[in-house]
Amino acid sequence: MELELGLAPPNHAHPAAGSCGKRTCTEPFGAPKATLPLFLRDDEDSNDRGGGEHGVGACEWEMCTGKRKLVGWPPVRSARRRGHVKVRMEGVPIGRKVDLSLHGSYDELIRTLRLMFLTSSHQGPSICKHRRRGRGPYAVTYEDGDGDWLLVGDVPWE
Amino acid sequence: MGRAAGPAAPPWHSLPDEVWEHAFSFLPADADRGAAACACHGWLRAERRSRRRLVVPNCYATDPRDAVDRFPSVRAAEVKGKPHFADFGLLPPSWGAYAAPWVAAAADGWPLLEELSFKRMFVTDECLEMIASSFRNFQVLRLNSCEGFTTAGLAAITEGCRNLKELDLQENYIDDCSSHWLSNFPECYTSLEALNFSCLHGEVNFTVLERLVSRCRNLKTLKLNNAIPLDNVASLLRKAPQIIELGTGKFSADYHPDLFAKVEAAFAGCTSLRRLSGTWDAVPDYLPAFYCVCEGLTSLNLSYATVQGPELIKFISRCKNLLQLWVMDLIEDHGLSVVASSCSKLQELRVFPSDPFGHNGGQVFLTERGLVDVSASCPKLESVLYFCSRMTNEALVMIAKNRPNFTCFRLALLEPRSPDYITRQPLDAGFSAIVESCKGLRRLSMSGLLTDLVFKSIGAHADRLEMLSLAFAGDSDLGLNDILSGCKSLKKLEIRDCPFGDKALLANAAKLETMRSLWMNSCSLTVGGCRLLALKMPHLTVEIINDPGETCPVESLPFDSPVEKLYVYRTLAGPRSDTPDCVQIV
Repeated sequence: MELELGLAPPNHAHPAAGSCGKRTCTEPFGAPKATLPLFLRDDEDSNDRGGGEHGVGACEWEMCTGKRKLVGWPPVRSARRRGHVKVRMEGVPIGRKVDLSLHGSYDELIRTLRLMFLTSSHQGPSICKHRRRGRGPYAVTYEDGDGDWLLVGDVPWE
Repeated sequence: MGRAAGPAAPPWHSLPDEVWEHAFSFLPADADRGAAACACHGWLRAERRSRRRLVVPNCYATDPRDAVDRFPSVRAAEVKGKPHFADFGLLPPSWGAYAAPWVAAAADGWPLLEELSFKRMFVTDECLEMIASSFRNFQVLRLNSCEGFTTAGLAAITEGCRNLKELDLQENYIDDCSSHWLSNFPECYTSLEALNFSCLHGEVNFTVLERLVSRCRNLKTLKLNNAIPLDNVASLLRKAPQIIELGTGKFSADYHPDLFAKVEAAFAGCTSLRRLSGTWDAVPDYLPAFYCVCEGLTSLNLSYATVQGPELIKFISRCKNLLQLWVMDLIEDHGLSVVASSCSKLQELRVFPSDPFGHNGGQVFLTERGLVDVSASCPKLESVLYFCSRMTNEALVMIAKNRPNFTCFRLALLEPRSPDYITRQPLDAGFSAIVESCKGLRRLSMSGLLTDLVFKSIGAHADRLEMLSLAFAGDSDLGLNDILSGCKSLKKLEIRDCPFGDKALLANAAKLETMRSLWMNSCSLTVGGCRLLALKMPHLTVEIINDPGETCPVESLPFDSPVEKLYVYRTLAGPRSDTPDCVQIV
């Protein structure tokens, strides 16, 4: 039985077979994604990958931050407001919760996401390969109040 | 008995001032001192000159120079700025509450100042530099919910204040431009007693911190930020086992038996630890390392911690002497029932929402049940802040019956206008029961579906109520009228999204001068009504606050233009001159 927990935008290739590991992350290439890999620093990285296990922009973390309709309600301070968001990584069936208010910057958030998703033992070999290098062609995206998927990092952290 | 021989004692009213000043030093409460000062000129003089501690709850209620002139011997001053709803983003960022005029006046008139506290104010690096260079015996700086300064300003404080005992930075927005502020404490400096930098996001030099903690043997309070890993926290505790209050910052560590042993040993040495806080994430494995301090704890703040489940509950159940508990709703009803049976001395409970916007499908199981249990079993419980998603009148009535000793009751139902979820009725009956039963109630926040009826009860019964917060409540001006014409002790009223208009305000204009302040946003007020109020009450400042993007001069607006945000407060100083464009004083 598959456990489908994640949320995905309507035009996303459905990550149907939630089972991880064996499943490669090739599906997203077909998907008309506007997102760009966040960590691609040099071209060498993409060349190194080789082998067709996956390619550029392979895996994405998706964050659902939900819709906020009322200003200042519920009456919690901004540090509490961000609260938890559900984060799902493409190809991983189980989502994780991240407390945004514990992070002061995008760098810290990326670090936490890496710890959560890249150091877990049940990741596929394609991902382990990148862990050692400490970076990889991962894009972190989130769904804003209008239902659009945006690249994390464009707006100031606050 | 005949008259005693010897010289007649001088009449009491010609005793020298020093005698009266000494007498007044036994009147710590400002209200009592204020009353005494009204008795006669002599007492006014004596009280003024002997006042050591001054609290200014609204920085715009008086000119700072007048305050300094009136009370020339002040050693400790606390000034508060923005209204409470600023915490929830309802005030434009440039609204005001500048600390600079207060620092300048203090530097001029209070050279012996030792303590300064600012809450919800705009404090600049220049302010901090002036503080560091103006008061030779400066000892305590507390900044709470302030903004406008950077770590460079902090560096001026740590370098310049040789007698600093306390640096308390709580929930401020601080720009991190260097980490040298900590290194600026001189090597010979050892007087630190309390240090709280939990709101700083950047790294601090751990070696410097460790040396500081080692040499300050009187350090009692240490609240770290998120950048310090658990391993280092344990090292610090070895250097400061005398600590009474600890904020661990964040730790999210994989389980390692060595680290566990280190943490456990470090805490075992802290026999004086009474207050604990931290933003713990994924730490259930480490909770047993804290077991040795549980029994001594009187205050536990886990309101930023996401630990949950049986480990959390086991931990809290060992804290049998807790007076104050702040948690997330992750504790759920079951956890609160354990609190109810374990923490019999509990006085204050705050439960915060882990998922305020329902991102994660609202799966937390915290309901009215948890609050009913705690109020039934904790006889000393007097202060509650409770976020949950459902409530019933029956539960509120039971809570009111169990705990007539509430002084502060704040209930926030996450969905506006939520009715009693069983009967679908408004929660009027429940909240009426609270105010009728809790005769000592000083602070009340209401939420859920409420009609004008509940305001009748509040106006009639809430004699000691000083602060009232309303949201999405009531049907008409009658509601506001009942509040303002009753509630004898009301000082602060903050209202959002209620159908209250000008009529009730104008009919009770005089009441507003007996209060500290009134905030209303998204109600049914008009520009004309506010203008009339300002005309009627010259000692009130009536501020109309627009969205920064849409500023239109109030004079040009028709009488019945809606007012989005209103802030009214009494003042001795007349209209302030530091308003941004989006604020207009009528």
